[in-house]
Amino acid sequence: MALKSQRLRHLVCVLAGVGAGLSASPSHAETRGYIVSWFATATNVVDFKANCPLDKNGGQVNLNVRQLMGIGYTKEEALQIVQDSGAQLTPEFTKRINVNAKLNDRPVPIFNYPEATEDPQIEMVTGKFAYGFDLSSKTAQKFEDPDTHQMIDNQLWRAVGCLDSFRAVPPGKPYPEELSWNLMIDSAPGWSLRLVGDDLSKDGKVTVILDRLTQHLQRDATGNVLSNATYIMESSKRSHNEFQAEIKNGMLTITPKDLYLEAEHPFYFDIALKNAHMRMQVTPEKIVGYWGGYLKWQDFAYMYTSRPANGADSIGMYHALKKMADADPDPKTGQNRLISGTYRMEAIPAFLADDSGKIVAVPGGGEESTVAANTGIKVAN
Amino acid sequence: MTFSLWRGLAVGASLFALSAGASAADDAAGDLPLSLRLSPGQYKQIIADVFGPTISIQGRFEPEIRTDGLLAIGARSVSISDTGIERYDDMARGVAAQVIDARHRDTFVHCKPQAANAADDACAKQFISLIGRLLYRRSLNENELGTQVRVAAESAAKLHDFYAGLSTSLAEMLISPDFLFRYKRTETDASGQRRLDGYSKASVLSFFLWNSVPDDALLKAAENGSIHTQEGLQRQVDRMISSSRMEGGLRAFFSDMLGFSEFEVLAKDPTFFPRYTITVKEDSQEQTLKTIVDHVMVRRGDYRDLFTTPHTYLTRSLAALYNVPLPEKTDNGQPMHWQPYTYKEGDPRAGLLAQASFVALYSPAGRSSPTARGKALRENILCQKVPPPPGNVDFKFVQDTSNPQYKTTRDRLTAHRSEAMCAGCHKITDPIGLALENFDSAGGFRTKENGVVIDTTGELSGVKFEGPIGLAKVLHDDPAVVSCVAKRAFGFAAGRLPASQDADWPKIEAAFKDSKYNVLELMRRIALSDVVYTVPARQVAAAQK
Repeated sequence: MALKSQRLRHLVCVLAGVGAGLSASPSHAETRGYIVSWFATATNVVDFKANCPLDKNGGQVNLNVRQLMGIGYTKEEALQIVQDSGAQLTPEFTKRINVNAKLNDRPVPIFNYPEATEDPQIEMVTGKFAYGFDLSSKTAQKFEDPDTHQMIDNQLWRAVGCLDSFRAVPPGKPYPEELSWNLMIDSAPGWSLRLVGDDLSKDGKVTVILDRLTQHLQRDATGNVLSNATYIMESSKRSHNEFQAEIKNGMLTITPKDLYLEAEHPFYFDIALKNAHMRMQVTPEKIVGYWGGYLKWQDFAYMYTSRPANGADSIGMYHALKKMADADPDPKTGQNRLISGTYRMEAIPAFLADDSGKIVAVPGGGEESTVAANTGIKVAN
Repeated sequence: MTFSLWRGLAVGASLFALSAGASAADDAAGDLPLSLRLSPGQYKQIIADVFGPTISIQGRFEPEIRTDGLLAIGARSVSISDTGIERYDDMARGVAAQVIDARHRDTFVHCKPQAANAADDACAKQFISLIGRLLYRRSLNENELGTQVRVAAESAAKLHDFYAGLSTSLAEMLISPDFLFRYKRTETDASGQRRLDGYSKASVLSFFLWNSVPDDALLKAAENGSIHTQEGLQRQVDRMISSSRMEGGLRAFFSDMLGFSEFEVLAKDPTFFPRYTITVKEDSQEQTLKTIVDHVMVRRGDYRDLFTTPHTYLTRSLAALYNVPLPEKTDNGQPMHWQPYTYKEGDPRAGLLAQASFVALYSPAGRSSPTARGKALRENILCQKVPPPPGNVDFKFVQDTSNPQYKTTRDRLTAHRSEAMCAGCHKITDPIGLALENFDSAGGFRTKENGVVIDTTGELSGVKFEGPIGLAKVLHDDPAVVSCVAKRAFGFAAGRLPASQDADWPKIEAAFKDSKYNVLELMRRIALSDVVYTVPARQVAAAQK
């Protein structure tokens, strides 16, 4: 088997060498291919009570009551209306709620003009823990990462973590993201991840390369993403990202740098992280980890206000995100335009090809003979 | 029940019974069949050939019976149940409605009725005689034609719609035993000998080579008698083999021989084999058929090389199952395309037996089965019989894949064979099947099971070999392999296996060998042989009385 492993390493060395678009790849390197198979806002709801001691936000019923009170009903009246109509308010009320914003003294749709609504003051996370990275020197607002125990920045989680929609534990995603992921996975192009290194079975320096694919992901028989399928990467450099990284004890961390990956609404417009950090547990069969950095809070909010019927308090979230934004102040207004946040992700093995169809990365952990026999590339001696 | 169905039941019941009775009598006498029920594949192919591929068929077909390794032989032993008649009636009315709808009618109805809301016997007769000749594989006699025209007229009058009348009449023909069964009718030739009539001969030929009904040229050969001359028959056979419809016959034959009907009940546990999707299940059959068509029709290759050929076709889903790269530069959202794929020399996944259509088809849902694979190989590829397991067999060793004492399938089977009652049959099947243990239940490639390197050594007919490549090479050189495919091709044509009294049989085998085991040449020789057109002795005797 040792001989086989050596042969595989030689093989992928050759693969990496012939692969197009690998200008930054070290020569004689091994290149593994993956596709991002799971992606969502990183949640941490192990102890919801500690995070949100007031448990004030509630679910759809509480949201309905808040919205009815916002258009002038007393709490008792609102409760009665909700009791009469059930979780889904009748159009008589929703029409009024949906224009409960004022612009130049005229009623306007709240989801088009969330800035013109009153802040419903939803409860935000006051607990100790959240996933993320140390992005700033603002020590007062930091969480502790449950894995690394470092003090980290994640004001996105502080803003949304007490909403019912975000009470998700992987493999579950926050409800609106679960909906949109399942809506888009069969049509929107996915993302690829390549690992390039001298020997990926060992600790050491590696390069992480992210690209957008030209094809959407395929599903397997369980409805999850199919592994070991072949995808073609976009030739455009718009979503091409290269990060210097290091693996220690199987954990990969990158040298921070900005990240951009194009996506398709409603599952994110894009993933644009300033000062992106990553840590990922790497095995040949799977990558699981976190990506963090600063993102545009208005883009995140728009994912929810643009399709409000997803169980989240879109307006409450808008105001919470705006308040918690912690970077990039607008020079005129002083309002921060970016918010620290963290995504959780998974990736599974795939064959990756450039736009000419040439295979530039192969799954790790596959059968040596499989790769050797089918790539058409001779194994180096 | 509808007007159509009542008529179908009234007309059909006696004929279905007659048909079934005739088949039973044939079997009892060890004689040749008088009738064979259309297979689901033949039904679909006929509808596509006569009316085009846009006509959809909704509904389930009657179950088939496999006899002597072929459904084509079992077709002589099956009838149609009461519920089957209802299902055929539903399908018939569905097809008829589409054929006569506004989108399609001008293609098939070459005349205009005098009034669209009333019967028009002349126009109806033109349509019925044209379509009826193709569906019944013969011209309708005056009595049949008159009956169908009356059905169309009565229905048109009741519904005030000429085309609805035509639809009713067409549905009647599609539920008729003359459509659903292939009858062999005989006549006396100039020398006083009984022979199949021209239409029956044409039908045998077309279902063998095309898996469908004769075309106009073949029917004309039947009508003008040229099909009874060696030259005329040869002209038709050569024309048919060079036709694009030949692919349909080749696919049908190998689907039958390789047992693809079993795919209907095949399932895999998605927890263990998530890459085995519904798409993969369908694609794996198509992969094998494409490989065969390419090898036999395009490359004109040696049948034996099918077991070693590196050439195949893949979709991206199949490629993921086999863990091979297959870039496809189509636009996002477009259906996956088939792409030719060639394995490198020495790849264990080359050849038919390494494809999921074999290794997955003959494996249970959650584990591989060298026994099932060995049995299928013996029966389907070598035409050998493997006895069924005894009723009280204990599967405790083979089914427990988590037993730490028996980490590989070979270990478990070795333990199982320690029981004397099991050993006898397993020594027939397992030494072959174990060579394919590099393929899991779904057809994915592996070298280890439960962390232990898989031992793929095997043995066939006293020859020892290693792994799928070794097995394929041994099969390639085994004379039973070519003998088996020849017998099955004969059975597919004649509805029975060749017998010792079939004088032409050794000549067919010799010609197959001389052609370097070219399957098209084998089928040509069979199609030109008298033995597949032999008149059943029962009918000869009946005619003499």
